Amino acid sequence: MSTTLLRTIQLNQFSLLGTALIRRRSNNVSVRCCGSQTATTHEAKQTSPSRVAPKNHKSNKLDEILRDYEAVIGIETHVQLSTLTKAFCSCSNNYGSVPNTSICPVCMGLPGALPVLNSKVVEFGVRLGLALNCELSLKSKFDRKQYFYPDLPKGYQISQFDIPIASGGYVDLDIPLEFGGGHRRFGITRVHMEEDAGKSLHSDTGDYSQVDLNRAGVPLLEIVSEPDMRSGVEAAEYACEMQRIARYLGVSNGNMQEGSLRCDVNISIRPIGQAEFGTKVEIKNLNAFSAMSRAIDFEISRQALLYDQGKADQIVTETRLWDEGAQKTVTMRKKEGLADYRYFPEPDLPEVILTQEYVDSIRASLPELPEAKRRRYEAMGLGMQDVLFLANDVSVAEYFDAVIGKGAEVKLAANWIMGDIAAYLKNEKLSINDMKLTTQELAELIAAIKDGTISGKIGKEILFELLAKGGTVKGMIKEKDLVQITDPAEIEKMVIKVVSENQKQLEQYRSGKTKLQGYFAGQVMKMSKGKANPGLLNKILLEKLNAKD
Amino acid sequence: MATRALLAVISASPNRCFISSSRIEIQSSVSSFSSLNFQRHSRKIHRIARSYSSDKDSSVLPPPEVSRLAETARISLTPAEIEECETKIRRVIDWFGQLQQVDVNSVEPAIRADMDGGNLREDSPETFENGDSIRASIPSFEEAYLKVPKILNKE
Repeated sequence: MSTTLLRTIQLNQFSLLGTALIRRRSNNVSVRCCGSQTATTHEAKQTSPSRVAPKNHKSNKLDEILRDYEAVIGIETHVQLSTLTKAFCSCSNNYGSVPNTSICPVCMGLPGALPVLNSKVVEFGVRLGLALNCELSLKSKFDRKQYFYPDLPKGYQISQFDIPIASGGYVDLDIPLEFGGGHRRFGITRVHMEEDAGKSLHSDTGDYSQVDLNRAGVPLLEIVSEPDMRSGVEAAEYACEMQRIARYLGVSNGNMQEGSLRCDVNISIRPIGQAEFGTKVEIKNLNAFSAMSRAIDFEISRQALLYDQGKADQIVTETRLWDEGAQKTVTMRKKEGLADYRYFPEPDLPEVILTQEYVDSIRASLPELPEAKRRRYEAMGLGMQDVLFLANDVSVAEYFDAVIGKGAEVKLAANWIMGDIAAYLKNEKLSINDMKLTTQELAELIAAIKDGTISGKIGKEILFELLAKGGTVKGMIKEKDLVQITDPAEIEKMVIKVVSENQKQLEQYRSGKTKLQGYFAGQVMKMSKGKANPGLLNKILLEKLNAKD
Repeated sequence: MATRALLAVISASPNRCFISSSRIEIQSSVSSFSSLNFQRHSRKIHRIARSYSSDKDSSVLPPPEVSRLAETARISLTPAEIEECETKIRRVIDWFGQLQQVDVNSVEPAIRADMDGGNLREDSPETFENGDSIRASIPSFEEAYLKVPKILNKE
């Protein structure tokens, strides 16, 4: 990603200006947000020095221009649900099957086939609605959204138009520290259930496309946000939080790369102080949170410059695509008027009715959500950096909770998980759930170091063993005889021996080369096979070295 | 319910949005951004839907724009056919227009006509056994994909 930044700087002038906006950006943001199965390395601790865009008068000018405008950003997120079957038929819902093998008359839209709603879809809809603090519509319905396209077998998509299952919610989140930190609340307009269309592959050559209908009928939840975001950073973090929540709830695996989480951005700018919204532009084809952030920043600059040059009328309502290679948004085709979907209630499906008991039982079964976890971790005394890391991935958070549940000290557990363990997982490309080091053993390791049974250094060695091969802390200590030596008499014996075997160095030390203490300490450590307590060792060593004799 | 069926027909006419008269002002789109406004409008449903039925001249509904209807349905019609359709469709609309005279002031607007909701299915996969005959009946099925003309725009 650093090369991307570099390339960005070297590209055309425009993107040079763009980099002025990402001055303080560390190149690690996407890693944090997309903290998928693997616990991400504790990036923040190793944050590369912020890349400062070369300051020239052009980037200052852009800054000045941007100061006069406010971006208004809304996001539509489509979450593909991880149900076993499709929304309206019992075909399997798996990613990656041979094309057109998971089909039946219903999802193919063949005459006479009728849809039957999957109960899990309702459950997931309620779960997500509650997690987003929405009001649920105890009665909602499906509608037909009609348009023609090769990947839409029925010629309409079953969706929810005016009475969605959930509406009027909000999400609380924290902006990562490298972007200034801080708490935000963004409104959620609605959440509704709908079905996905098939997948189209357009050939580069030739005038044909290929359609795979395995995905047709797969259930989606669409989340529409209020236009509350004001920057690329805020938008990216909102999207991250949608992913986090979806994964916490277990309703989706939320992979942008696989397409199980798709975000479209609606963005307009307006002069600061103006109440009316500016012309809205939609941006599609965003495959990563970092791309989202960059696309938004680019688009804000593009629009601001047009305003500034008096060419605001060149900003039209249209859909633009993010071109990852060129790092800019480009026009798709301009829309000729808005689409007419001719919505009407789906006659083949009954109302969706929720009872209060049903909703309450689901509410009671919700896991602790990311926001609640973050606040709890903060209350435990962890710094925001740690909080954001630990709460990012639900498996990591659960692991951490289990370890401290077994009595381990909070800060120590956090350090181990975010440091050595995270690095190991990243290297081995493992998820924390696949790790051989159990929560019990980590807790024991922490306790053993804390009470002095073993030294910190030995602890690290044991950690690596346990990570690679499993086993128990107690077992390893016994097997390798790793108990720390804390008996002063024993240490003294070793010190005396080392000193007597190294007369030359002793003279050098006494004649002023005090750095040689380290050499002696190393020798004693070697003799003790690393088990001597470092503190005691140095104390006794110093005494002996400085003694008259 | 009557009002709803009526509105379903009206929705086929251009520049009408379905659901309630409160929508009549909105242009035909419902790009999801204007769904931001849906919340406000859907609360109006209750008020305005009632007043709709007591409009004085409510049985006079605008004539169908058949050529546009045909375009949205992707059906090609000759001018003669268009004229013929117009009369027929208009008759149906007027017939529904009679329902406007019903006084529904004391009736709660309903989302749907049927009384029972439910009919949910368990989330357990079943392979459709005759997948082969589905694939065999696809006119241009090549290399496991449906081969279709290249269309990039979803309009």
